[in-house]
Amino acid sequence: MPDQSHVGRRYSAPGQRIAPESARAVAQAIAGTDPVREADAVPPTFAAVYCLGPTLAQLFSDPEVGIDLAGLIHGEQSFEWPAPVHPGDVVDATAEITSIDTRRGMTFVRLAMEATRPADQAVVCRATSLMIVRAPA
Amino acid sequence: MTAPAASEIAIGDSLAPFSRVVTQEQVNAYADASGDHNPIHVDPEFARSVGLPGTIAHGMLEMGILADAIASWAGGNANLVSLACRFSKPLLPGDTIICAGTVVSVDDAGVATLEVGASSDRGDRLLTNGRATVRLSR
Repeated sequence: MPDQSHVGRRYSAPGQRIAPESARAVAQAIAGTDPVREADAVPPTFAAVYCLGPTLAQLFSDPEVGIDLAGLIHGEQSFEWPAPVHPGDVVDATAEITSIDTRRGMTFVRLAMEATRPADQAVVCRATSLMIVRAPA
Repeated sequence: MTAPAASEIAIGDSLAPFSRVVTQEQVNAYADASGDHNPIHVDPEFARSVGLPGTIAHGMLEMGILADAIASWAGGNANLVSLACRFSKPLLPGDTIICAGTVVSVDDAGVATLEVGASSDRGDRLLTNGRATVRLSR
């Protein structure tokens, strides 16, 4: 189970390519049967794919932290987009565990993430996530 | 598409009504597109085994729909500066997500802050404590 000793652990996922077809597929899934509003743009929450996905995958498979995926809940999410990101861009994503608290049998893991585009050093996304791990039944 | 003009936006202004049915097909499509294949979203038997009533939509799919609602009011994705929310209750496929937002402030730089959220047609509060900032045109 995650505990205080894991605060400060960092995960790094360089070279995440914003694949145009992948951004389009996410935009289409968000739109459902409605028309996609901006077919050639990267949907803002595509940051879940280029920033959260690759760093959280490392957290979830980190044997030192030992998160039980069966009891995992995405509790809160924030995004800030300081600069636009475009299909075809390549970004470096990093994440850091900023706090871990346990109460009422649940462990609250907070992370801060950032995605930077090396081509112009622009920060394209800052994010925070709260992951809640329920104790095994 | 251009953002609403700062001079035309007042505190208390609301997003246009925005709702969308979320089907299991759509959740499956989001799983494939995003790479998030957690079985609680796509496998009803597994979802029930961990105490859920059935599969649930990805929180990030719901947040994506909320972002879509805000961006359509804001004149495009590029005008959405930030978005935050809590995933309070899960969205069950087949339900309709209803997004809402109200302007609570506009600063001197022409950035509007909105309180935003989403509920389901069955009355569940899905996305709560939501905040968004939007760049207005001058």
